[in-house]
Amino acid sequence: MEFINPDVVDLSRFQFALTALYHFMFVPLTLGLTFMLAAMETVYVVTGRQIYKDMTQFWGKLFGINFAIGVATGITMEFEFGTNWSMYSHFFGDMFGTPLAIEGLMAFFMESTFVGLMFFGWDRLSKQAHLAVTYLVALGSNLSALWILIANAGMNMPEGAHFDPETMRMQFESFVDLVFNPDAQAKFVHTSVAGYVSAAMFVMGISAFYLLRGQHRQFAARSFRMAALFGIISTVAVITLGDVLGRLDYEKQPTKIAAIEGLWHTSNPPFEPWIVAALPDDARQENHYEIGVPLVLTPLITHTFDQPITGMHELEDEAGPRIRSGIDAVAALRRYGVTHSSTDLAQFTAHEQDMGYGLLATRHAPGQDVTAIPADQIDDVVKATQPDILPNVFVTFWSFRLMVFLSLWFFALFAISAYLSLKRRLERSRLLLKLCMWSIPLPILATEFGWITAEAGRQPWTVFGWLPTFLSASSHGVSYMVFSLVGFVLLYSVFIAAELYLMFKFARLGPDHDSMEPHTPAAPRVSAFDMRPMAS
Amino acid sequence: MTKLLRLAGLAVVLVVSLLFAVFVGDQGPWYFAWVIGTVMIILISGAGAIMLDAQSSLSADGDI
Repeated sequence: MEFINPDVVDLSRFQFALTALYHFMFVPLTLGLTFMLAAMETVYVVTGRQIYKDMTQFWGKLFGINFAIGVATGITMEFEFGTNWSMYSHFFGDMFGTPLAIEGLMAFFMESTFVGLMFFGWDRLSKQAHLAVTYLVALGSNLSALWILIANAGMNMPEGAHFDPETMRMQFESFVDLVFNPDAQAKFVHTSVAGYVSAAMFVMGISAFYLLRGQHRQFAARSFRMAALFGIISTVAVITLGDVLGRLDYEKQPTKIAAIEGLWHTSNPPFEPWIVAALPDDARQENHYEIGVPLVLTPLITHTFDQPITGMHELEDEAGPRIRSGIDAVAALRRYGVTHSSTDLAQFTAHEQDMGYGLLATRHAPGQDVTAIPADQIDDVVKATQPDILPNVFVTFWSFRLMVFLSLWFFALFAISAYLSLKRRLERSRLLLKLCMWSIPLPILATEFGWITAEAGRQPWTVFGWLPTFLSASSHGVSYMVFSLVGFVLLYSVFIAAELYLMFKFARLGPDHDSMEPHTPAAPRVSAFDMRPMAS
Repeated sequence: MTKLLRLAGLAVVLVVSLLFAVFVGDQGPWYFAWVIGTVMIILISGAGAIMLDAQSSLSADGDI
């Protein structure tokens, strides 16, 4: 009997991708704005100038709108692991559940508690105490991201765990290895600082809007200056950490790096070009219309001039023996589950590291059972499974490039903005101000492309090298998946519409009071019910 | 007495920071870089704002 329904797997993947991408429209602003608020409030506490308090309160209000909706969209995702990915949760729950629980108990409770104090504590706390609260909110929101990314890194580079043939799942081995996983470190800093870039562009873009309209000029000039400096350093950090992640992928996830670079054949160092643009053809396993820059790829990925990067065809060839060995591992494990004999355990242990590759062959095995493959068909099954080790090259290749091109745009925009702000020539550069304003959504888009690169590039695995994605989903019906998908789309569309409406409304209104603007007394209101004669 | 307590508090912060730097700098260099980098970004952006205050007070041209 066949137990894998590819439609359910695809719908589960689509639903998770959609909810994750929705959720991540809100997350970067939360991560970055909290530290921007902390920076503004720090200047307020140091200088005592009212304008910095106004800035903290105004940008804090926009942060509050984003925070509330971001939390609402995040909660559903935690439930999805149980409802739609129950096989994955069984297999990897120990490793994945621990950081998720810590995130909820430590980081989320911390930020949620202090966010209330931050909003309502202005008149109840001393300046210094309120500043400490703002820093704790910033720390809490970023620690929240840290634990989520530690969990994600465990899926990409499972460290601190081992497979237990008794329980048929990955067992937690080392908390230190989990937390200090190199992928977790680099991914956390990359993601957190990408949030700083998003927040800086958000503040800079809205400030540019005020400057273009000649409103709240002093308020906008200070917000713009702080955001431009915040943004330029953050962009450099994001690019640096992106390079670190690329290097880690080169060492640990060669299929991902080969797909990112559209590299079908092993590179020829040092001349191999870095492909700027191409149309990767997954079906024919080649690129069309390549435009490349020679001598760039090898130092970019390997940080040397002589190390080759293995291409996708060669990775497929290398996977052949692992798939064969993995089939032996799955067969030995199946026998061990019945006999519990030391011989079967020894056979399994000998092939354990390739077990995931054996599971990958399930789709091509007769009756989706790798233990039932006749000896004369093993070669055919292995051959059919080899291309499955590759992710979707077109998606991975282009999502990566769009992210990179956008980050280079941010670098240029922040650098010019910071320079003109320091020279006090902002208002003469109306084109730049317009570009800043229209660039507000781009960092959010870049982070979305980053996630698509990371997650599409990890395929076909949920736990890299151990558990294929098609074996991770729950056994729902297609109608259930379609119904819940439509529900999510409708609900989240309402959230986005609400966020955009409130953001536009409050951004257009500007700060409640602007301590640096010349005060013009409002014209006296005349009520229709005021019966006193005007002339008197 | 208050000054002494404040000094002692700062000394504790210093020791904790050094221990943090030694341990995390070794085990988790990018976590350490994040802490240092975030503090640096905050300080530089804050300094930029204070610099603008100084520029505004020195010049009466009203340019931004």
